[in-house]
Amino acid sequence: MPEATLRTVSDPGRAGPASRSSRLAPVHWLALIFLAAALGFAAVAWATGNGFYLRLATEALIFAGLAMSVDLLLGYTGLLSLGQALYFGLGAYVSALVLRDVAPSFWLAMAAALLAGGVAGLIGGVIANRVKGVYFALITFGLAQVAAKTVYNTRALGASDGLIGIPQIQVGFGPFSLDTADPLSFFLLVLGLTVVAYAGLSYLMDAPFGRTLAAIRANEKRVPFLGFNAWRYKLAVYVLAACVAALAGALYPMLRGFVSPELMFFETSGNAVITVIVGGVGTLVGPVVGSLLLTALRSVVGSWTEHHLIVVGVIFMLSVIFLRKGLVGALLARLSRRGEQGRATP
Amino acid sequence: MTASPLRTATAGGACALGVRDLSVNFGGLQAVAGVGFDAAAGRITSVIGPNGAGKSTLFNLISGAIRPTGGRVTLDGADVTGRSPDRLLAAGLARSFQITNLFFELPVLENLRIAAQVLERPWHALRPVGHSRRALAKADALLERFGLSAKARELAGNLSHGEQRRLEIAVALAAEPRVLLLDEPTQGMSHGDTADTGALIRSLAGDLTVLLIEHDIGLVMSLSDHVVVMAQGRKIAEGPPAVVRADPAVQAAYFGHR
Repeated sequence: MPEATLRTVSDPGRAGPASRSSRLAPVHWLALIFLAAALGFAAVAWATGNGFYLRLATEALIFAGLAMSVDLLLGYTGLLSLGQALYFGLGAYVSALVLRDVAPSFWLAMAAALLAGGVAGLIGGVIANRVKGVYFALITFGLAQVAAKTVYNTRALGASDGLIGIPQIQVGFGPFSLDTADPLSFFLLVLGLTVVAYAGLSYLMDAPFGRTLAAIRANEKRVPFLGFNAWRYKLAVYVLAACVAALAGALYPMLRGFVSPELMFFETSGNAVITVIVGGVGTLVGPVVGSLLLTALRSVVGSWTEHHLIVVGVIFMLSVIFLRKGLVGALLARLSRRGEQGRATP
Repeated sequence: MTASPLRTATAGGACALGVRDLSVNFGGLQAVAGVGFDAAAGRITSVIGPNGAGKSTLFNLISGAIRPTGGRVTLDGADVTGRSPDRLLAAGLARSFQITNLFFELPVLENLRIAAQVLERPWHALRPVGHSRRALAKADALLERFGLSAKARELAGNLSHGEQRRLEIAVALAAEPRVLLLDEPTQGMSHGDTADTGALIRSLAGDLTVLLIEHDIGLVMSLSDHVVVMAQGRKIAEGPPAVVRADPAVQAAYFGHR
């Protein structure tokens, strides 16, 4: 049944537009299972007093935010950004400066990073969306390189050393507050933010706005003849992705206590693209799974050999060849195929 | 069937789509040169001509795909020359394509829902799809009308050629345009499907002004209220089907080049 396979693979996770039932889509079930596993992990890590793995998992979630922003562009709109680290690094630097020099306020740092990401995304989006395809990828790459080299050579921003001595802070929620220095608290905070980002972005991508992005990915040339200004939609999703990346970046100095120009380098952007492709494009949960997998791999393999990038590279190639839709995509295709067989044989 | 054969386009309804002296150059090649005609409201106006006559380029100029180097396009009297396709759609002009131009990796229903989304208020873009009731109802109605209900969940890319051609027209209709440009809607269709599509186009006229490019001369002559004949980028004749068919210049250009 080649047709059935094609159908399940093409849009496995999203609830079909025809299905107006309120049943949870399989991709959201995967996200829930993932959330449960993350909470289980947190409980075990807390019980064993293992702060190292909690902080490693927190870092993985922060980079998952960056990968989600790449997924918005690549998976939903069909735009390959090779410079998403620009907005991630921008958020990190803005957050670090606010926390160190203005006020040790979590919400102020996040708001400042969001604003900076939005403004920079608007400027970058106007420039990058002048062109399409490979040229779009090259422009995003170039923009990020310019920004990274500028930061690298600016003494006021710590140049190649970056900014150090970012204070640990209290995050206030009304009467409650938690401490970023406590690995479990900060992990749960970042996990909560990841869930909010996943839920909000999934909602948006399944609303007509996100589906118009899918139409642009499928056949951009037809879109204007249906009354949409494709340029505006592409700019909107580019700004959205920049904001998501900046917010993720803003969490980085809270975890590590420093920021460095490497956050804006191509390696960061490239890793985010690899994360999305290994995890599963166009699923939003795929980038999170991919980020945890690759972070764990780097840590484990990195303890044996410093050449862990070789391993990551091989996994990337295998994933592209054998799992075209990434881990989550393959899983969803399998689930829905089984579901169809179940329906076919009562 | 509101149009009677006696009341021909130019004599009858008001001009819905006006084309004046429309021209475009492609690097010295005059693809369309000073073409002008009126498409009367609620009627079917056809553009015919041998291959390379500039018919598709003319459509691209009218629908905003290409910017003209000279001339004007008016929609209900308002100048819309050089407007982008999305703004033209908002003004009430939609088109279909000669080469099927759908969202092949999306389901049939979703193709129609996206095309009908402009019927909704802008903020519906950020609400759940279920809230876009008008767009969904429109998509359902078009599925029904074009006999595609059974294929609603199928990917557009998995449809047969004939079904894709029908969906192509349905997608163009989803925004409820006042003027519809159909670029060879029966291209590659079987005889039976061609006849069905002809009847469908006939049923569209009245509510809708139709501008049609069609190679099937029999279909053109039986459907059209008004025929514009092009050759080598120029208009060489226009009038009611019977008059155009008898025109010696048309016969020379049309059949001489075969």
